[in-house]
Amino acid sequence: MGNMLRIGPVLIWLAVSLPTQADTPADTSELHLDPAWLTLIHYQPDTFGDGYTSQADDPAFFLSEDGKHSPKSELQATLEAIQKPGEGDDHARCQFPARTTWLQQELNLALPEISCPGYQEWSETLNTETVTLVFAASYLNSPSSMFGHTFLRLDPPQDDEETNLLLANTISYAADAAAHDSELLFAYKGIFGGYPGITTVQPYYEKIRLYSDIEHRDLWEYKLNLTQDEVDLMIAHAWEIRDRNFDYYFFDENCAYRLLALIDIARPGTDLLGEVSTHAIPSDTVRWVVDKDLVSDVYYRPSAATSVAYSLSTLPDDHQTLAAAIATGYVDADSNEVSSLPAEQRAHVLDATYDYVRYKSEADGWPREIAAPLSHDLLRERSQINDVAPPEEPPEPVVRDDEGHDTFRMSLGAGQLEHREFTQLTLRPAYHDILDPPAGYRTGAQLQFLRLDARLYTDNNELQLEQLTGVEIRSLSPRNAFFSPLSWQVGFGGRRTDTGNDRVLTPYLEGGAGGSWSLGHQTQAFAIATADLEIDDDLRRGYDAAPGADIGLLHQNNQFSLLAGAKTKAWIVSSQHRQDQLYAKANWHIGREFSLFAEFTREDHYDRYQSLWHAGIHAYF
Amino acid sequence: MKKLIAGAILLGASSMAFAQPGCGVGAMIWKGQSGIAPHVLAATTNGTFGNQTFGMTTGTLGCQTNQSVQSMAMYMDSNIDKVARDMSRGSGENLDTLAVLLGVDEADRDTFRKVLQDNFATIFPSSDTTSGEAVDAIVALLEKNESLSKYVAA
Repeated sequence: MGNMLRIGPVLIWLAVSLPTQADTPADTSELHLDPAWLTLIHYQPDTFGDGYTSQADDPAFFLSEDGKHSPKSELQATLEAIQKPGEGDDHARCQFPARTTWLQQELNLALPEISCPGYQEWSETLNTETVTLVFAASYLNSPSSMFGHTFLRLDPPQDDEETNLLLANTISYAADAAAHDSELLFAYKGIFGGYPGITTVQPYYEKIRLYSDIEHRDLWEYKLNLTQDEVDLMIAHAWEIRDRNFDYYFFDENCAYRLLALIDIARPGTDLLGEVSTHAIPSDTVRWVVDKDLVSDVYYRPSAATSVAYSLSTLPDDHQTLAAAIATGYVDADSNEVSSLPAEQRAHVLDATYDYVRYKSEADGWPREIAAPLSHDLLRERSQINDVAPPEEPPEPVVRDDEGHDTFRMSLGAGQLEHREFTQLTLRPAYHDILDPPAGYRTGAQLQFLRLDARLYTDNNELQLEQLTGVEIRSLSPRNAFFSPLSWQVGFGGRRTDTGNDRVLTPYLEGGAGGSWSLGHQTQAFAIATADLEIDDDLRRGYDAAPGADIGLLHQNNQFSLLAGAKTKAWIVSSQHRQDQLYAKANWHIGREFSLFAEFTREDHYDRYQSLWHAGIHAYF
Repeated sequence: MKKLIAGAILLGASSMAFAQPGCGVGAMIWKGQSGIAPHVLAATTNGTFGNQTFGMTTGTLGCQTNQSVQSMAMYMDSNIDKVARDMSRGSGENLDTLAVLLGVDEADRDTFRKVLQDNFATIFPSSDTTSGEAVDAIVALLEKNESLSKYVAA
């Protein structure tokens, strides 16, 4: 038998040349092009030429010197290596258990039992029966978190009382950025490559601490319906890529991308990576996983911020006032006002106030000298009330983040600017506009990338680039007695600007900050101080700047969204004119695939009035 | 199974600078967190910036030799504020996690929860209590309890 093994590769060669021999291993001549093999070594077809290149950027991941570019020689090298005698952690079978399992099945290889202490201990410790894909949703007032984040949780068998998912391990893939790198350097290296991407294993409670407690992100847990064999293969492959470098790129080869690869490997033929084109937005990758019928159950874990906002909102008004008074130090936790309440109500006030104090300490940096003694008082009082259940958890949102509208939007419309008629085509690759269907997105949040507006003026058939939005972020979050978030916006790109006698395309940068207040259900009023900068040689001094204000109303519901208000900008450098605008925009949502939109703007600029009408349809892909 | 859980939690924490679990002063409760820094890009792009948040201190007071207690100490060190919260309420997943780490049987869980809630002020005498002190106080309390002492035997 040992001899047989040593001459394995020869046998395979024989099998290729003598395919009639029935009991020899299967045909390997095309095996290296099997999608499962290509996925296991992370090969992608080359953009130029018909070869393959592996995305692994670590020589230790390959057994053949040509492995990075040659699926065939890597397969041959692997076949040879796994059939070599010997055992222990350095043996190829111990280093590459997933490859070994797959080749063994494909070729009916009879390999002797060997021991791999390192891998065995690792997989026994992970003790995984099912795998859950966890999606960290975006949080209020941080549209930049809208893309979300994903990682895998490895769930132990759930058959006894010792099962505890907080202690389950997670696998995630992230850029290993040096802590001292600035954000700009981080962005640059992230986009153009330069950071190694590493796979890390951490207990779930640490992930909860990071996402749920510190970043205020709700977690969605998608339990995958993988079989035990598929789970084992995934764990085996996670072992193969652990400590192996795959360069990290924000837009495509990011955290979500590597997890898709792991799922593809667990269930060959799934081809989730085939869905990735130019970018892999984590929330989109969750949609793909749901669409491929990989999910058996979904659980919602509200963040600390969501929970505290909910438990405060369930208190009666006078108890909310009391909670605020305790939190700000006007009333002591053990004062008469509190202790005179019936036990259950007292417990609810103390619980909500404690959670609020913790939230303020995390989010707003309340100093420890104040927050810690207050927290201690609250818990000590609370511990004297027995048999009252902890606060009710917030209800699960009716529409999950992966069930909102798709993020690529194409719009076709017609309009009129100063009695000139035009048709307009808009393409927006990502992500969400404040007027888009709000279900599955955060209220008042907007994040748009690379939006292109092209106009064809029908009177003279002139095609114009109206606007190219690089990035546009907007966050309107209402303030109340407990929470006082800043509403803000920032954007840059190129747009048409009125110089008095022409509309020229100029680069612009704009920003603003202010407040927003809720006016009842789904409606908020906002007031933002804004600043605009435009740079172009068509402007008299080469650039222009404008302080300004934007005051308006926003209403969002599942049938329609409405934004209306007044804007003023005082151009102070070149044109020295004020630009005043009244605007109203409405979208009527038809399911999650389409919206009809209409907007009207009346503008006073250079001492003349002009109107803009524009209406059409948005389609989401 | 108990050993497996203890192993898992130690594996998870192995990257942290923690010399001897159950052996130290540990993190002070409600120690100032770094808070949510406006890492706009980090949030967008899911990078990690080295976790300053999970800092901890070590010392050499009353070392615990029981492996379950060590796991509990490890868990308390990163989750002390949430454990304290659940303890004051007499229920919650962090309290359940302590029970799992100590291997407390389902039948004894109600007693376990009640003992910890009733003795909250003993376990956390002040707002400067550290996780190490809290662990020692919990062990002392459980040792005195007829049905719970077996879970903390050295």
